[in-house]
Amino acid sequence: MIEFIAFTKKEYMESLRTYRLVTLAAVLLVFGILSPLTAALLPEILGAIDLGDGVVLTLPEPSAIDSWTQFFSNIGQMGMLAVIISFSGSMANEFSRGTLVNLLTKGMKRHVVILSKFFSASVLWTIGYALCLAVCYVYTAYYWPSDVITNAPFAFFSLWLFGEFLIAILIFSGTLFGSFYGALLSCFGAIVVMALLNISPAIQKFNPISLSGDTLALLSGHKEIADFFPAVIICVSAIVILIIASILVFNKKKV
Amino acid sequence: MSVLSIKGLSKSFGKNKVINNISFDVPEGSVFGFIGANGAGKTTTMKMILGLLPADSGEIFVCGEKVSFGATKTNRYIGYLPDVPEFYGYMRPMEYLRLCGELIGLKSDEINDRSAELLKMVGLADVNKKIKGFSRGMKQRLGVAQALINKPKLLICDEPTSALDPMGRKDILDILHEIKGKTTVIFSTHILSDVERICDRLAVLHKSEIVLESTLSDLKLERKSRAIELEFEDEIDSEEVLRVLKDGNLFPKKCEAANVEMSLESLYLEVAK
Repeated sequence: MIEFIAFTKKEYMESLRTYRLVTLAAVLLVFGILSPLTAALLPEILGAIDLGDGVVLTLPEPSAIDSWTQFFSNIGQMGMLAVIISFSGSMANEFSRGTLVNLLTKGMKRHVVILSKFFSASVLWTIGYALCLAVCYVYTAYYWPSDVITNAPFAFFSLWLFGEFLIAILIFSGTLFGSFYGALLSCFGAIVVMALLNISPAIQKFNPISLSGDTLALLSGHKEIADFFPAVIICVSAIVILIIASILVFNKKKV
Repeated sequence: MSVLSIKGLSKSFGKNKVINNISFDVPEGSVFGFIGANGAGKTTTMKMILGLLPADSGEIFVCGEKVSFGATKTNRYIGYLPDVPEFYGYMRPMEYLRLCGELIGLKSDEINDRSAELLKMVGLADVNKKIKGFSRGMKQRLGVAQALINKPKLLICDEPTSALDPMGRKDILDILHEIKGKTTVIFSTHILSDVERICDRLAVLHKSEIVLESTLSDLKLERKSRAIELEFEDEIDSEEVLRVLKDGNLFPKKCEAANVEMSLESLYLEVAK
């Protein structure tokens, strides 16, 4: 536990001083503000564009659901990209720069590194996510105070869980390949594979990517919370397996 | 008592046998020079002592405890200075030593005291800039400080002077000289003059095997009555010296001209002071 606390403190100092925390929080915050704003302004913007011959696009009056649609699409894509870029180097840089040698030769246990990395990255992601969620929530409630969104808490949770899943993939691939691009490309690869698998309706239910991609169906009432349970179980199991696998790989890795 | 004991150690990378059945002991309190050419297997041996690499066969004991790969239990007796120590560039030296101190479970006061003491010893007491702005020599000195934070019984230095300029080399050797007697040191190098300066025991690793193991004083004693070193202010032809000796009926077995590298080094040290 002493080692875990010491190493985690180092992780937070790193996140602060290398601007990882600020960048991640800023990017997420921008999308938190932008989502309700885009939803509110989009009809006006499109309405102002003359398509020629006096044809003007008119969109229905925006509502809270449009704001959350923007939120889930923004965070599900750009937000996740920010997470991937932020944490690709977390494990990989330690290997490529050889900075763990001094610490491991002091007797620090190897699993501490993995657990601390996962924990600290999770906390950063959770803080950033909570921040942009809170901002989006407040703005949405301000613009459309009377709108009620069904299943919102579960949708928020499932997108957060998908972020955790990506962090676990990054830590595992960073440990396995020991390079920034190895981690980055493996994570993109995993997303592409999951997106391809999602074409098959039979797999969709179990596919962790549905936690990010299908949240809109949940908000609009096309899907039930229970429809997501298999994917949640698969996702949580995958996170646990990835973290254990990272420890096993790291134990056998030469530093 | 031996702080480090290696018995029949072998290691291959693929078909390349890097270490072939080597054995040696490092007694407590000694400064042990581990000599070998580049690629002789020094670093490989050290990494096996630290449990960072698995051995193919043989055993390593540190303070009587067996080293096993992956587990780092015996490392609590060891301080390790890698050939090029790497740090977190965004930290200051005091912060880095704090991290190291916390990892080995020292109390906050202890960390402060010991860090201050060590930074003073390595000449970094007044340096409060981030490590990313450090020169190689400064990093090496901080490397010594971090290696000593756990008051190790055995300090392992992997070519601590090879990558440094003569001034930085002298600094490191001075520091190692200062801790002589307090900690057992094993020190790998291919620079023989360094070994001569601070080591009292040495082993030579050549073509994967230990070809010589002795104390420095024994080695010197063997040569003592036989060799005389002459130094001249002016440039002088060795033939001329030999002629004078021959006239006096003295016939040396071997004649060596002045060591150019050595004189350049002392010249540099003189002007760079």
